[in-house]
Amino acid sequence: MPYNDPDPQDPNVLVGVSVPATGDVDHAMREMAYAFAEEFAGLGYDEEQLLSLFRRPFYAGAHRTFQVLGEAEISKIIRESLGVWGGYRIVVRDTKEDSCPK
Amino acid sequence: MSKVKNWQLGREMDYPYEARFPERQFAFVFNINRCIACQTCTMACKSTWTFSKGQEHMWWANVETKPYGGYPKNWDAKILQMLQKADPDGGYWQQALSDAGSDRTAPYGEYEGRTIFETNDTALQTESSRVLGYLPTDDEWNSPNIYEDNPVGPKGVRNELHSSGTELPVHDTWFFYLARICNHCSYPACLAACPRNAIYKRPEDGIVLIDQEQCRGYRKCVEACPYKKSMYRGNTRVSEKCIACYPRVEGTDPESDGEPMETRCMAACIGQIRMQGLVSLSEDGSWAVDRQNPLYYLVHVAQVALPLYPQLGTQPNGYYIPPRWVQNEYLEQMFGPGVERAVERYSFPDRELLAVLQLFRRSNKIIYRYEIEEGPLVYEGSYRGRDVRLYNDTVIAFGRRGQELFRTQIEEPLYVRPAVHANSI
Repeated sequence: MPYNDPDPQDPNVLVGVSVPATGDVDHAMREMAYAFAEEFAGLGYDEEQLLSLFRRPFYAGAHRTFQVLGEAEISKIIRESLGVWGGYRIVVRDTKEDSCPK
Repeated sequence: MSKVKNWQLGREMDYPYEARFPERQFAFVFNINRCIACQTCTMACKSTWTFSKGQEHMWWANVETKPYGGYPKNWDAKILQMLQKADPDGGYWQQALSDAGSDRTAPYGEYEGRTIFETNDTALQTESSRVLGYLPTDDEWNSPNIYEDNPVGPKGVRNELHSSGTELPVHDTWFFYLARICNHCSYPACLAACPRNAIYKRPEDGIVLIDQEQCRGYRKCVEACPYKKSMYRGNTRVSEKCIACYPRVEGTDPESDGEPMETRCMAACIGQIRMQGLVSLSEDGSWAVDRQNPLYYLVHVAQVALPLYPQLGTQPNGYYIPPRWVQNEYLEQMFGPGVERAVERYSFPDRELLAVLQLFRRSNKIIYRYEIEEGPLVYEGSYRGRDVRLYNDTVIAFGRRGQELFRTQIEEPLYVRPAVHANSI
């Protein structure tokens, strides 16, 4: 990331894009939050780990939904996802051949 | 120019060489829905292959924020714009999508429009160009993911980051992370453009490599690759690119124990978004029917994984499960007309798809075949207005020699990795 603010006169700096969007920020953010919550709940993350993923500013996607929707709403989404996708754990049984070499 | 069959476009197209297909083809599926841009893949690749002097700007594996980011900057917007300028009336898809592997030679219909190999001479950048493309500037290579390359700290303070993240960019609409490596295309633009014939596609696995002895650094491959995955190294004066960690894929890496193994970027993925394999091909270059191969299932049966910018014409071998929260118009431009179907099926996965998705990153060995042993219903309920049923199905993965690699089940205790192996991947 550049350490100075972008110079709007710099032709190489992207100053504006037009892309189709719903215009409904809340909807897009909510879908995104559900997707991350479901996927990572399915991977075995618990409530605390999931909330931590959303809280961390370095995971910008998840964190933006946290900023827009707020902690209470994100917690609700996490609990809802965990209710379905976090109710089980996946266990992997490796065969001997797949074990790490000593 | 020869005529070659491009199954992703559902038609024949021009290509400078005759079609030649490998015994098996290196291919991969990335599930965008799971990617949180942790950049572990990026660093796994960087620390393995591009850590030397002269390679500072090289990121063979990268993750960029779409639609804002790109490495190099705006690579896709630029090539799409050039293609549109060269063929203003083209660029649309005809005919209906075929369903569930019924037509492996044209699953997305037929593309009407020119590829980067089919533009006329006036559209080409230089007289010596064979393929539509451009050479990115140094500035465009500088920021691997502009404004999200790294979180910055307060100005003038070293070794300190903003803990709140407020200095990171704010995207107030949809966005997603696109993880990219070389697509090891079936019709590589880099190979087509090289005047030295220094680029070749390996007959055993379709991996595209640059012969460092033959290369003279003309950068025609850098100009031609629409995905911009050929990169020039100033201090050696030759070009380099992703080598698909071929010692691992060959099974000659010491860690691989003689068995084909997935690449470093795949193995390192903490979001478990990646699966890589070697697929069988038919004589015409389309995928041979291999129903129990997980990649074949995801691309041709479930059809949830789609090629990246198929309209460019290189027949890329990287496939993506599109993000379900992004608008179709944008996704269709990026992944072709199968997007709506893919998102629908991924959002409401059937029993087999749910099982196959469990195969992602359970092993670093390449999976050649899977089987499912059906188990009892373990959950039934409603979730966001739809019925959900979960079964304790066992998914069994098999390797090259038909040996079992692993099996997964649900509703079992979670195995906690011992502290001594906490960071082994």
